[in-house]
Amino acid sequence: MFKLIKVAFLGLISLAFVSSAFADITFVSWGGAYTMSQQKAYIDTWSKGSGVTVENYNGGLGEIKAQVEAGNVTWDVVDVLPDQAITGCDEGLFEKLDQSAFIDDLVVPPVSECIVPQIFWSYVAFYDPAAFPGKKPKKMKDFFDVKKFPGKRGIHTWANALIEMALVADGVKPGKVYDVMSTPEGIDRAFAKLDTIKDHVIFWSAGSKPLEFIASGEAVMSLAYNGRVGAAILSEGKNFEYIWDGQVLEQEYLVVIKGSKNVEEAKEFVAHASTAQALADQAKWIPYGPMRKSSIDIIKKGEPWFNTGVDILPHMPTTSKRLKKSVIADPFWWADNGAEVNERFSAWKGG
Amino acid sequence: MNQTATGPILTTDGTPLKISLQKAERKNKIKAVVLVLPLILFLLITFIIPIVDMLMRSVDDRHINTVFPKTFEVYKNWDRQDLPPEKIYEAMFFEVLESKGFNIGKASTRMNYSKSGWKSLLKKSKRKFKTIEEGPYKEQMIAFDKRWADPTYWQALGEMVDPVTMGYYLNSVDLRYDMNKDIIQQPENRRIYNKTWFKTFKVAFLVTLFCLIMGYPIAYLLSTLPLKYSNLLMICVLLPFWTSLLVRTAAWMIILQQKGVFNDIMVWLGLISNENRWQLMYNETGTLITMTQILLPFMVLPLYSVMKTIPPTYMRAALNLGATPMHAFYKVYLPNSVPGISAGALLVFIISIGYFITPELVGGKDGQLIGHWIAYHLKTTLNWGLSAALGSVLLATMLALYWVYNKLVGIENLRLG
Repeated sequence: MFKLIKVAFLGLISLAFVSSAFADITFVSWGGAYTMSQQKAYIDTWSKGSGVTVENYNGGLGEIKAQVEAGNVTWDVVDVLPDQAITGCDEGLFEKLDQSAFIDDLVVPPVSECIVPQIFWSYVAFYDPAAFPGKKPKKMKDFFDVKKFPGKRGIHTWANALIEMALVADGVKPGKVYDVMSTPEGIDRAFAKLDTIKDHVIFWSAGSKPLEFIASGEAVMSLAYNGRVGAAILSEGKNFEYIWDGQVLEQEYLVVIKGSKNVEEAKEFVAHASTAQALADQAKWIPYGPMRKSSIDIIKKGEPWFNTGVDILPHMPTTSKRLKKSVIADPFWWADNGAEVNERFSAWKGG
Repeated sequence: MNQTATGPILTTDGTPLKISLQKAERKNKIKAVVLVLPLILFLLITFIIPIVDMLMRSVDDRHINTVFPKTFEVYKNWDRQDLPPEKIYEAMFFEVLESKGFNIGKASTRMNYSKSGWKSLLKKSKRKFKTIEEGPYKEQMIAFDKRWADPTYWQALGEMVDPVTMGYYLNSVDLRYDMNKDIIQQPENRRIYNKTWFKTFKVAFLVTLFCLIMGYPIAYLLSTLPLKYSNLLMICVLLPFWTSLLVRTAAWMIILQQKGVFNDIMVWLGLISNENRWQLMYNETGTLITMTQILLPFMVLPLYSVMKTIPPTYMRAALNLGATPMHAFYKVYLPNSVPGISAGALLVFIISIGYFITPELVGGKDGQLIGHWIAYHLKTTLNWGLSAALGSVLLATMLALYWVYNKLVGIENLRLG
């Protein structure tokens, strides 16, 4: 009799474990202030959020392709760039997702059927005003002018956005950049412009690095993800200045990996993570621009929206004033030409 | 004749001794095999299979041939001048239209490696082709996207028409196929690998040399000091060895950066001025310094284990017989330590040529050794064929080194301890 009670008791306990609201999914993103904003905005607020494991990566589809090919998928939801979203969806690495909830609410049409929207962000140049006691750099061409503003520049190790910025610095209108880039002469022109700062650059690949460059004085100006700079200014009280000119506006999405063992929960999670409220909440923690129009309305009504009690909209890369000076990145151009231009960029770096 | 003298020796139960011995031996052999079986399986799964897979991938062009078999068949008869005839367009049209699932996506990624633009062209075309109802197809395709009238797109297909390709190996040494599968050089601004190979070997050679120069005296001290001091020194060698690679690399970054510890001290001593701080990081100097420190134990330990076995009496005898210390060292000690030198050098060199994370972090633009490109193509471009080819070349280089070493020094002289 006692044995029976014991068995029943143990059974109950194990049942309780199984049925508790516990999503077992792995969410992979870029780390730092950005992942923190995602954690606060839609992992912590999700009813099954306690079961979400967060991992960091540095971009690229390599790990995902390896997992899918080996049939051993351990990542469920990944935060990806647009050209990755295109290639990954084409190659069958991602699940197709239901986009009906947001398709009419987006600022720009989605690049593929496999994504849910996240944010707009910018590659932007910034500096510490203390490094320039006299005249301050204001334009993208100042970033490329080592005579007027001597000192090292921090740039990233891949060609995306650098080509665009070099052309803007060389006098191309932001809206015409991809027309120029679609000709071989245009690419030559961009590289010729890059040549002018070649001996004055140091490279970064992790998003936290440019902040270190400027804070330690290793570089006087650097390109960076605008949200990282914004978070340092707003949350840590750092005295950094942006150069809002010729910045390159990029998009960011979430995808569900094909063959995910928890595909239903993963889909549930990305649906939650792409609600207008979730995207708006994210802006409480990092100054990136939500991709849903209704999120912007929520923020407008709620200002001061940022967690430290300041207005966040002026810090976003998507204010209409900044959009006019932005190059809107074309992921299709990069999906086509990325490999070749990056090879050339590497040859340029090493030579 | 006495049977027991010439016939087989029998055991008590009448079976010949030889057979019953074999039986007993067999049991032992099976036991031995069972004992090493896990190891063999482990090696097979983690070592042999991946290497075979890598070698296959480095020549594999099957996928694209399963997507466009008919196109490639008619393509082979085309003279590759100007634009292809209608029947190639037609074959391409139907194979794009009828392709299922993700085949066309994968194929377009492959085609994009040889000619940028194929990816979006096929993606757009697949959608559009559904609306084209009947031929001739050539004009309609060109009318839809003028890239279909660009001969360079068609010529780029020339290198893919066989399921087995050497193309990736060619790419890994800055060569390529042209449309007739003749081997030509890559265009000027895509030549990056030969430079990288050279840089990789240069760095590996210099790191090995520096490790030897710095490690030899340490190992000598270790092997000759009294135990209580040598133990302490040994700890000093091993502690960094046990510390995480990333921690050590980060520590070097703090020391070497322009506003870092080393430059601060030099400025404080007045040896350099504040404006002219040395650039010790994000260049080759940083890579060499950091890699030398990190790989030093791999040189010291084999050297030490060999030097430990050289009897001190040898040197004493040589000195006693009238040799100067230099001469005695050169004639007696050095030759005896050669197995350690070669083991250490081989180890450091082989680890160096595949090194990835340290040059990546402290090397800046000069830090892109071949490991960087293998990782880059694995992670970013998804050009795994090229990654595999680069990896295979690296593997072949190591085997070649091993062979040269065996010829010069003899592998039986390799001693790790």
